[in-house]
Amino acid sequence: MANSNLPRRIIKETQRLLSEPAPGISASPSEDNMRYFNVMILGPTQSPYEGLGSWRSPSTSSCGVVETGGVFKLELFLPEEYPMAAPKVRFLTKIYHPNIDKLGRICLDILKDKWSPALQIRTVLLSIQALLSAPNPDDPLSENIAKHWKTKEAEAVETAKEWTRLYASGA
Amino acid sequence: MIPSSTTSLAMDDVHRSSDSVKVESTINYYSDGFDDSEDPLFLSDDDFVGDDDGAADALLEDIKEDEIDLLKQKQQDCKILSTTELRQRMEQDVAQVSSVLSVSKFEASILLRNYNWSVSKVSDAWFTDESAVREKVGLLVKTVISCGIVSNKRKIIICGICFESHTSDRIRCADCGHLYCEICWSIYISTSINNDGAGCLMLRCPDPSCHAAIGQDMIDSLASEEDRKKYSDFLLRSYVEDNRTTKWCPAPACEYAVEFSGADGIFDVTCRCLTSFCWNCEEECHRPMDCETVRKWISKNSSESENVNYILAYCKPCPNCKRPIEKNHGCMHMTCRVCRNEFCWLCLGPWKGHMNCNRYMERTDSEDKRKKMAKESLEKYTHYFERWDANRKSKLKARADHQRVKDEEFKKLSLSQDIPEAHFEFISKAWLQVVECRRALEWSYSYGYYLPDNEPAKKQFFEYLQGEAESTLEKLHNCVESELKEFLDVDGLSKKFSEFRTKLVGLTTVTGDYFEKLVRALENGLSDVNSHGTKGLEEEVEDCWCCDRCTYANPSSIRSCKVCGSLNIDNVNE
Repeated sequence: MANSNLPRRIIKETQRLLSEPAPGISASPSEDNMRYFNVMILGPTQSPYEGLGSWRSPSTSSCGVVETGGVFKLELFLPEEYPMAAPKVRFLTKIYHPNIDKLGRICLDILKDKWSPALQIRTVLLSIQALLSAPNPDDPLSENIAKHWKTKEAEAVETAKEWTRLYASGA
Repeated sequence: MIPSSTTSLAMDDVHRSSDSVKVESTINYYSDGFDDSEDPLFLSDDDFVGDDDGAADALLEDIKEDEIDLLKQKQQDCKILSTTELRQRMEQDVAQVSSVLSVSKFEASILLRNYNWSVSKVSDAWFTDESAVREKVGLLVKTVISCGIVSNKRKIIICGICFESHTSDRIRCADCGHLYCEICWSIYISTSINNDGAGCLMLRCPDPSCHAAIGQDMIDSLASEEDRKKYSDFLLRSYVEDNRTTKWCPAPACEYAVEFSGADGIFDVTCRCLTSFCWNCEEECHRPMDCETVRKWISKNSSESENVNYILAYCKPCPNCKRPIEKNHGCMHMTCRVCRNEFCWLCLGPWKGHMNCNRYMERTDSEDKRKKMAKESLEKYTHYFERWDANRKSKLKARADHQRVKDEEFKKLSLSQDIPEAHFEFISKAWLQVVECRRALEWSYSYGYYLPDNEPAKKQFFEYLQGEAESTLEKLHNCVESELKEFLDVDGLSKKFSEFRTKLVGLTTVTGDYFEKLVRALENGLSDVNSHGTKGLEEEVEDCWCCDRCTYANPSSIRSCKVCGSLNIDNVNE
């Protein structure tokens, strides 16, 4: 099985992700494929993706109870060439964001041509979290949302909040 | 850390690749075509050619001197470079930058790559602001860390990519000091070489915040043999493609590059693979046409069928110059952009004095006129296109025929005439002249199409020159194509063959002259017509007699042809 000769780098990264998770981020490998990760990212505070209720981190139950809502599920896959090739990441939760399309694909330079083997799963997920805080409608993946964002930002932010409430409740 | 062994290995490469001899070549088909002093034709004059050839030789000598000068000048404009020569030049440029800027060869190579391989641009930028240039291209001054690990070989370091522990002699870094193990480095480099194409030449340190450039020294010491080869090929491609003065020969699978430095508007170059092309637009040679018109003509040819339909459906031809005009603004007052003719869009009558055309005129000529004009415009195009295309095909056929003659018939001929194959060079030259003239004639038809209708003097002059050139070419083509066949099966050295030889050599020269005249006149935009009318031309025609054998136009003062030596029959009869 592929898991048996998993590169040391992936094992180490996984261990660190589980033992010292980055704030607001959890990533745990699937049981039958160690290259496939279930990821949850908490919407950053003061962003339209911010949560409101309570949430229990699945990986570290000791982490305690935080507010829920604004919990975004993603999938992350490490291809055979990793770390020479970038991980493949996709939002599973519907999200209203100019750099994320309706299939959950993400427009982020480090996932494409700016990938470097010195980057890690952790850095990628932190970058995605940062992208939620700072949408970039000038380099859009979803034309309509970007247009909305640029012309009526307040209204677009409201829609994003609405979508967060509807789809990212963490349930 | 750069082990000294790496450097010396790369230096070996440099020396190995510099063992070639420079060869320059341009073929000027319009010249006499006999400027090669090594030509066996001229070395064997005595035992092979009849006496009446002395005049021809003298003439050829004259032309030779002029043309050699011209040829020398042309050779300076254009150089054919093999990959070995290219590598050699690249090494020279790198060495120059390296010594002027006091940087290593690898750093010099990185600098040149970033400045389109222009030695002067690199030095200008460098001496203007060295640190800005270093920042831009990613050349850092060596850090302390990188020196630190070299001194302590036993130290254990964790690689930033694979997270494995390595002793420091297995760890490498660029000038920035970011440490990764040799295995990860080599996979990193190999991934880039095999996935990023020429982008691998711009490889940077894996650290996302660092932009230290990775030079060929690191590549050579860490990549596999195969990847090193690929990298060096990418580097050579960049040297040709990013360099403003060189281009690859566009022929498929040809590995020569052409360096061009001419500035006189003539871009025709001939690669050593014998492909001729225009250095400027990379289409086939199209002297006397300029690149812009060629582009227009080619796109016209490819879309003409649809164009004609469109023109018929939406356009009306200007009643004066007959160019199709499409109306895109409201009012009916039209002004032709080309000839400034003003007319009414509806009735095509002149705008001056136009009152109204609302009254129905009993099926006058307007509609007929329009259709007729469109038809004329199409017929004109068809006329020129047909001839352009016929000459193009004839050129391709002549090229193939020449190859066949060289491959098969020279052998037969050598047996039947008992002459070494080397002596048939004049036949080859005749064929090359045919190919070249067909090519020029081809483009002269496209030229004719674009010649404005309102300059009849120019048109007349053009048609005269073209007609003369075309008829000599037909004679030459016929001579080299049909008359040669007679000698294939006849045994023994016949006097006839030597006559044939004289005739063909003469025809080749004369055809070359006519075409040179045509091409030069067209390139000057037929400006002779403006400056002295057609006077010069008429004078020439009146004072000349055309040789019956080789068609060369001789001054009336001489009685025997300058080229082939035969007598002026008309003159004798009188």
